[in-house]
Amino acid sequence: MIKKLLIIFKRDLLSTRRDAMATYMVIIPLILAVGITLFTPGLNDTTVKLAMLKSDDIEHIDYMKQFSKVELLGSVEELERRVEKRDDVVAIAPRGNGYEIILQGNESEVVEEYAVLLNTLFELGSTEEETTAQLISFGRTVPPLKTMLVVMLISMTIMLAGMLIAMSIVEEKVENTINAVNVTPVSQTGFVLGKSLLGGVAAMLGIIGAILITGFYDINWFMIVLVGLTSMILSFVIGFLQGLSSSDVMEAAGGVKLIVLPLAGSIAGYEFLADKWQWTMYWSPFYWAYKANILILSKTADWRTVLLCTVMVIVLSLVVYLVALPKLRKGLS
Amino acid sequence: MKLLSNYIKEMKIAARGFYFYIEIAMAVVLLAVLLFAISETSTSSRKQFIYNDMPQKIAEYIKDSSIDRGEARLADPTEFKLKPAVFEIMNQETGETTAYRFDDEKIIELETIEMLDSSTGELTETVYYTEAEEDMIRLAYGESDVGATVTMDGYGRVSYQYYLQGYETDRLESLLYISHSELPGVISAKKDRQVVRTLGVMETLNNRENLVPVFLVFAGSLMGFFIVLAYIFYDKAEGVIRAFAVTPSSMWKYLISKVFVLLTIVIVSSSIITIPVMGGQPNYLLFYIFLIITTFAMASLGLLVASFFDSISKSFGAMYAIMIALMIPAFSYYIPSFDPLWLRFFPSYPMLQGFKEILLRGDTGYVLTYSLIFLAGGLVLFVLANIRFKKTLTV
Repeated sequence: MIKKLLIIFKRDLLSTRRDAMATYMVIIPLILAVGITLFTPGLNDTTVKLAMLKSDDIEHIDYMKQFSKVELLGSVEELERRVEKRDDVVAIAPRGNGYEIILQGNESEVVEEYAVLLNTLFELGSTEEETTAQLISFGRTVPPLKTMLVVMLISMTIMLAGMLIAMSIVEEKVENTINAVNVTPVSQTGFVLGKSLLGGVAAMLGIIGAILITGFYDINWFMIVLVGLTSMILSFVIGFLQGLSSSDVMEAAGGVKLIVLPLAGSIAGYEFLADKWQWTMYWSPFYWAYKANILILSKTADWRTVLLCTVMVIVLSLVVYLVALPKLRKGLS
Repeated sequence: MKLLSNYIKEMKIAARGFYFYIEIAMAVVLLAVLLFAISETSTSSRKQFIYNDMPQKIAEYIKDSSIDRGEARLADPTEFKLKPAVFEIMNQETGETTAYRFDDEKIIELETIEMLDSSTGELTETVYYTEAEEDMIRLAYGESDVGATVTMDGYGRVSYQYYLQGYETDRLESLLYISHSELPGVISAKKDRQVVRTLGVMETLNNRENLVPVFLVFAGSLMGFFIVLAYIFYDKAEGVIRAFAVTPSSMWKYLISKVFVLLTIVIVSSSIITIPVMGGQPNYLLFYIFLIITTFAMASLGLLVASFFDSISKSFGAMYAIMIALMIPAFSYYIPSFDPLWLRFFPSYPMLQGFKEILLRGDTGYVLTYSLIFLAGGLVLFVLANIRFKKTLTV
């Protein structure tokens, strides 16, 4: 059985190599991981942006630069034009003996509050040396946004692996090779698993590479591999459902859109729903995979939670698989 | 005439397949998500854990004053599970470290106060008060949120000890320091005297409406790029494109009929999402002009990409890379202070901003300028795709 399974895997590996699809499956997450690494420092540093006059007091400009990004312009008119642009920029211009804060009118209250507070503190002559506050740090270095992006990348790779499996099955259908398999000693289950291995292996390599590139070296690798392997089952189920239920490329393409919805919904649900409403997402295997990965990468995961998440991914994937089994058999025949 | 008959034929074929109905069903699902799962007002998920190291009566007085001023409201107590944890904390000034080890697991119920935006009344932050300092530190660590010990000395002076995660920017840390360099009353009085000038009364989209441009761009126009690719590969597999070579019909008519089918689907699905959410607010003439032009441009890009490959599997890398790149401007859309210049060159950036302006009845000049740019770009891409298809026929 294992031998036959590996033969199908090898055959897929050879045929997919021609299209470089499996290579993309590994390389695309790696490129995206490089993008995340370059991109997140800018995203994390999103304090308010100020526009000030070049002719303003240098002390005022330097003071503001300690707490915000400052752009220097030549006149009040230029400041107004800058404020009116699409992004959130607040201008501070000298007026009489003091300053005026110029807003466009559509900024969030936080932006206005921040700018007003900074100018207030400057006018009061406040310095860090006079502070009564103390800062204590837990020593974490990875911002949650970066963790979230990497876990989203992992979820997308799982979905991509599913797409790879689906597309390869649709192509088998178009080429009529599925019928040919039915008259070989390979069982339908063996064929299913053999076809899935390529997508799963490519996805695992892509995920591990992406985690390394983004700098998450000191995580619990046993946990991440366990979640990765269970996520492979999820990829298999997505791929086979999509591939066998689609009779042509158009339907498979439509199916991709249908899969994006529960994936995006699960991520949004985990991130934005209040704790008391999290149960509404328990039906989604994507939710459990996302939760496990985010806990592992943020180094707050314990084995009990990770095991619960992996069991839920497996159980929910199997439920979907078993419910769809008659349809899968029909698709295979 | 041939163009019309091509279009009608393509629409009949599309109506026979599942894809057309999947699109309509997806639009209905997205509408349901917008109407039932997304509230009109945004709710902040920011949390803070506070331990008040001061007489109970004073702590209560401070909380009650905030509630009386309308800055906060009392919420139901919240339950938290404290898990076993081992960690170290470091005082940033002294460098002194303290190790913590908690082996027990316990559930505690915390008094909860919701802080409100003074002008809109929306929730800005939820503050939880612990009875023990250790619980606050454990929660700040476990929940990855800010914690603070608020101490009042014998002279009634309040000081803060913040527990930060460690990844906060230097700018934020500096702000925390100077925010506590003066008495709160002094800062508050000076803040009230700041002169703020607003350039105009600007309309903004509510939390639900703010999602409509995202759905229009990513589920509509951008999907057009992907779907037109799938359409072409489907026809390539069926040998339709090769058949065109021996008919009097020109290639561009075949390609444009595909784009028209896609436009029909996008117009229907985008209307399903937009009209019930936005009602009569947007400028619909401008809306449909911009929708048609941007979808045409994206579909032309899809056609050009399709002309280089003979199966969807082979085009996978290029298709996926383009789709991911086009999604990046969504970050700037949601975080307006993150707006680097290079991001504005991605076509999805003006698409998102353009739909936003249309829904707000805002900057018509911006929408028309980009409509012209997308139309010109779309035409160039379409002509290039046509040349490629004519030259290669089956490739």
